[in-house]
Amino acid sequence: MELFANLAHGFAVAFSPINLLMCLIGALVGTLVGVLPGIGTIATVAMLLPITFGLPPVGALIMLAGIYYGAQYGGSTTSILVNIPGEATSVVTALDGHQMAKQGRAGPALAIAAIGSFFAGCVATVLIAVLGAPLTKLALAFGPAEYFSLMVLGLIFAVVLAKGSVLKAVAMIVFGLLLSMVGSDIETGASRMAFNIPELADGLGFATVAMGVFGFAEIIRNLDHGAEMDRNLVQQKITGLMPTRKDLVDSTPAILRGTVLGSILGILPGGGAVIASFAAYTLEKKLAKDPSRFGRGAIEGVASPESANNAAAQTSFIPLLTLGIPPNAVMALMVGAMTIHGIVPGPQVMQKQPDLVWGMIASMWIGNLMLIIINLPLVGIWVRLLRVPYRLMFPSIVVFCAIGIYSVNNAPVDVVLAGAFGLVGYWLIKHDFEPAPLLLGMVLGPLMEENLRRALLISRGDWSVFLSRPLSAVLLAIAAGLLVLAVLPALRAKRDEVFVESEG
Amino acid sequence: MSDTPSEAPVKSILPEWVRGPQDFIGGLAMVAVALFALWASSDLQGMHGFSFGAGTAPRMFAVLLLLLGAAVALMGVLKDGPNIAAYSWRGPLFVSAAIVFFAVGIRPFGLVVSAFAAFLIAALGSHETKWIEAIIVGACLTLGCALLFPYVLGLPMPMFPRFLIQ
Repeated sequence: MELFANLAHGFAVAFSPINLLMCLIGALVGTLVGVLPGIGTIATVAMLLPITFGLPPVGALIMLAGIYYGAQYGGSTTSILVNIPGEATSVVTALDGHQMAKQGRAGPALAIAAIGSFFAGCVATVLIAVLGAPLTKLALAFGPAEYFSLMVLGLIFAVVLAKGSVLKAVAMIVFGLLLSMVGSDIETGASRMAFNIPELADGLGFATVAMGVFGFAEIIRNLDHGAEMDRNLVQQKITGLMPTRKDLVDSTPAILRGTVLGSILGILPGGGAVIASFAAYTLEKKLAKDPSRFGRGAIEGVASPESANNAAAQTSFIPLLTLGIPPNAVMALMVGAMTIHGIVPGPQVMQKQPDLVWGMIASMWIGNLMLIIINLPLVGIWVRLLRVPYRLMFPSIVVFCAIGIYSVNNAPVDVVLAGAFGLVGYWLIKHDFEPAPLLLGMVLGPLMEENLRRALLISRGDWSVFLSRPLSAVLLAIAAGLLVLAVLPALRAKRDEVFVESEG
Repeated sequence: MSDTPSEAPVKSILPEWVRGPQDFIGGLAMVAVALFALWASSDLQGMHGFSFGAGTAPRMFAVLLLLLGAAVALMGVLKDGPNIAAYSWRGPLFVSAAIVFFAVGIRPFGLVVSAFAAFLIAALGSHETKWIEAIIVGACLTLGCALLFPYVLGLPMPMFPRFLIQ
């Protein structure tokens, strides 16, 4: 079987000592930063992006992937112990997880979250391996028109599944597309909107914008509330990590359901991991014999969303690796990292660089295993980390980010730009604009323009090519349908209902 | 965030028919960005024949943003929406100042001086900062970064002030 040969190859790459080390460091550092409240997954990945630049591509991507799921993992630890979700994906985990912690059952809650995540990670890894090859074949049949339509569909998905106003999310995507236009034009080489600033000649740096909009903006926003955030850290010592037999029996079906739901939602472009955890929690509550237990320390309320978000986090690599289309903002950062290493994501990557793709897939499984083994004993250290006051943390993050951005190109202008985007991001948050679609638009911008140009060139300027080619027409029809559904009041109410859970 | 007292004066600036100031201003700002982009890309070549010129896509996206921004602003007129949230000045000011100082200082003064100073400037952003504690943590962070970036990660950058080395 080709599949097993591929996986075996991947494990051979991932098990090389240097890659094992990268995976370990990535997972640990990701957890470390993910644990810190007020820094979400996207900010964590953006912040740590520069430290992977000096590495060889395979090692760098393995480390980045490790940072990503490490941050997910760290976020759930914070949710359970402090009731401040470290990130959007663990908002619902905080509901029941923190209640369990208050009842002195923080250990089992953490353990179930870890076991659920690990199981989901295993399933998702196999799924990526199984779906990778056939989807790549499909992608190779795509022409520029299909690619363009697919990207439109991806962006629409991202809007529909995101929280808040559809109109504003679309506006953010277009803002991102516009930002991606800065710099030289790929075809004519003309300098666009660069105002003769040499640092802008190659366009706005992806890491720069991400770090500004997610890193600096989040810090500035957090300072609004005063440096001392409300923290009801569970003070008592965490004893007995092992869940009881009853815990395991209760959570097994929840983990299975969460994994299935998460895997499916992760493949769809859009909210991915965030929507998966919300949907999984809602599903468990609906299926439960006694829904009133939820919000009071029901272990299913931890098991299912944690499995779902981890499954979704990993299956969201599928569109990235096979089609070259990032389904969410973190994957958009991965594209940025790949580009910096000279790799153009897309169907060719799987064939031309099997080491990279399969090595990364295998490393995800290894990384999850490492996390479960290392992290449970380390919980004590994470708890101590949570006691670090924000007044000391925020200047450290500012300085670390500034050095990180500077190190990318050795360009002071990049640092200033990131600061400016920090203020832009702060303003966007204040006006209830979601910054994540902006990032997605920014990454997809050049790809969309290129494919649009090519499609129109091939069709000799005929715009109907997007509708006359069946595959492209279907994709656009789905996109249009989704957009209509999203603005329909009935569905909107349903969509908001899913998110309301977080405020409950 | 939403129940701060400074909201009342903000509202009075806008005419009464603006029912959702947050969306209204947000939409107008997007329109402004779009207009700026249209102006900035106005010197670029447009369509020639079937093929896109350098300016086609930027102008296309700018027009799209213009329409969307206008629609968001319109929503602010038609629908009751949240007020403009209160901005604080202290955090944004000192965090930006720290970033700018670092950017300006890294070449002439090197990592050690600019990172440490940036840390202290950023620390001004919160009134809860305790200085002795901040100086100790800042020094440790500077030392850590001075070891991490050039030596562990192999990303060379100036360490000490230029006038000291020469």
